[in-house]
Amino acid sequence: MDFQPTILSFLCNWCSYTGADLAGTSRMKYAPNIKIIRVMCSGRIDPTFVLKAFKEGTDGILICGCHPGDCHYVEGNYKCLRRFHLLQKYIKQMGIHPDRLKLAWVSASEGKQFAELADEMTETVSKLGAAKINECMEVTLY
Amino acid sequence: MEEPRIGVYVCWCGTNIAKMVDVEQVAREMGNLPNVVISKNYKYMCSDPGQDMIIKDIKENNLNRIVVAACSPRIHELTFRKALAHAGLNPYLFEMANIREQNSWVHTDKALATDKAKALISAAITRVNFHEPLEKRTVEINPATLVIGGGIAGLSAALEIADAGNKVYLFEKSDHLGGIVADLDLTFPNLYPAQQFIEPMIARVQNHERIQVLLNTIPENISGYVGNFTMKLGMNGQSAEIQFGNIIVATGLKPFDPAQIPEYGYKRFPDVITSLEFEKMLKSGNIKTHSGRTPEHVAILHCVGSRNNNYHPFCSRTCCMTALKFANQVRSAIPGANIYEIYADMRAIGKGAEEFYAQSSRKDIMFLMYDQRNDLPIIRRALKSEKCNLLIDFHELLSGEDIEVRADLVVLMTSMEAQENAKEIARTVGISMCGNSFYIEKHPKLDPVATTTEGVYIVGSCQSPKDIPDSVSQAKAAAARVLASIAVGNVEVEVITANVNEDLCCGCQTCISVCPYTAIHYESDNKVSCVNEILCKGCGTCGSTCPTGAIKPRHFTDQQILSQIEGMMKAVKTRLVEIESQEV
Repeated sequence: MDFQPTILSFLCNWCSYTGADLAGTSRMKYAPNIKIIRVMCSGRIDPTFVLKAFKEGTDGILICGCHPGDCHYVEGNYKCLRRFHLLQKYIKQMGIHPDRLKLAWVSASEGKQFAELADEMTETVSKLGAAKINECMEVTLY
Repeated sequence: MEEPRIGVYVCWCGTNIAKMVDVEQVAREMGNLPNVVISKNYKYMCSDPGQDMIIKDIKENNLNRIVVAACSPRIHELTFRKALAHAGLNPYLFEMANIREQNSWVHTDKALATDKAKALISAAITRVNFHEPLEKRTVEINPATLVIGGGIAGLSAALEIADAGNKVYLFEKSDHLGGIVADLDLTFPNLYPAQQFIEPMIARVQNHERIQVLLNTIPENISGYVGNFTMKLGMNGQSAEIQFGNIIVATGLKPFDPAQIPEYGYKRFPDVITSLEFEKMLKSGNIKTHSGRTPEHVAILHCVGSRNNNYHPFCSRTCCMTALKFANQVRSAIPGANIYEIYADMRAIGKGAEEFYAQSSRKDIMFLMYDQRNDLPIIRRALKSEKCNLLIDFHELLSGEDIEVRADLVVLMTSMEAQENAKEIARTVGISMCGNSFYIEKHPKLDPVATTTEGVYIVGSCQSPKDIPDSVSQAKAAAARVLASIAVGNVEVEVITANVNEDLCCGCQTCISVCPYTAIHYESDNKVSCVNEILCKGCGTCGSTCPTGAIKPRHFTDQQILSQIEGMMKAVKTRLVEIESQEV
């Protein structure tokens, strides 16, 4: 059997989770590798969640939030964006390719965009193969 | 903490889930996970027998945690929370796994979808172990209501609420009430004059002792939550504050600018006018060309900016019947005129509309069909010798011929689109818009006037183009919802707010800097941060910023989310081991 990556996806409740639901109600099809975890706001995504997910063996992480300016909580998505840039630098030190962590904006009406993102991310991570954390980093993780 | 005793329920949703997920196998395997006491599958968990099953199991087996794997929590989370409450269990000791919208409906391989369902449910089970009971808060409802928009929807809602004895603030951005209906002459399908019903409504609103009309005013700076909204107003140089418990958004729509379609020559040819300009002409009782002549040929062009991906993909809903109304009015005013309805599809929706179409088609009106997606008609100036002002060239679909239609006056049935400030209003009241800038309702079928923001309703054409009866029905529906909340007097609000563990708080105040609602303040006596739970909306941004883990966003705690990740990955790893052992 071909390598099937696991991709965890953190979605904000108001835009992106609703967008992913819309992909479902519209019966769009995408890769089953994406597994969704709901948070109220992308600003809730603690760097620990990302590191924990990689430690537990996920091969990729897709974070989605409301488009800039459309955040239900005013500006949580900007906070998420700042952390994302730092996290990308950090996971590189862990031995994880930065492409394994993606941040995208998906609104409640963008079911199609979410389905496409899910497929793109699955393809990218499939090419990269299974993720492996540098051994020296493992001990420091939560 | 008492030992968790978890009940797991996997829903078939008829065949919606069951045909793509092996629900029996999933329920069997989930039964083996730690702390799971009962694991069942059932045809419709949301049905009364489904809910009764949960309630019975809680009572008989002392369950203290429930997981339902079914549709999106956005649809039935509340249903099951209520079932838990019925059984005497705190409703927050519940977690839902979304195996329909985010699994069975979007995948095509049953084995993979079944594996994914197991991962999602395993995540939910691991998470629910760490759920804590939360107490609902109730807040009083301020009986005053804010209505935004003074068109027919806003007026209807305002009257309904004020007549029931409550204060209404009615905001209108223009300098007069009545909206688009005030600009109409007759209305379809019974050719009843708009003035006869809109003017008495406006007068009643203006003279109503409980309605305060604010013209030339756009709401801004709204704070608070359902039951207790506050708005700061800068009126006459003085700042004032108003308070209200509910908001009805009735901001309507505006006509599309047909100058964007070069083929139609709007603004270049003075005898090409829009439907609203024609209404004005009809109201004045004088159908004339730009040069003051009575037109011999009147062409009415449908779908201008509607149902065309270059402009708006949607149908504007009212233009076909308005176009027929125009034809009837021209026929009465100028009995000898040649009238052309140049249409794409005739959409006669609603009571009396199809009959109106049938009657109109017997009035010597020429119906010509064009291809509005790929082949728009071209309007050009006629030569003197043609004895008309304009010529319209297009491929007529029913005859299959390229034809030329004479016209002295062309009426463009312009599409309707969202207001320019739709986004600002959405932000002010905290609601969402769909791709075409119309507002999104809470549920398209079962909750069409509510929004995902408690206490904020959308009525009329700000949600999508609507005719008068639909707008009025929605306005009255929302008014009924508001009146119901006023009658009850209080409302339960979300308890998913943050709180601080003062023993862990180091007083760094990072949380204060990230809170978008200024809901956190610093208590200098104890040197700790403190959350005002009335202002907190539960985004959890503080929780992901706190360096010591002192601040905890309830129901989305670090522990709950981390355990969800663990549960998910554990299921994935278990499956990988299974696959490997099979391959060996």
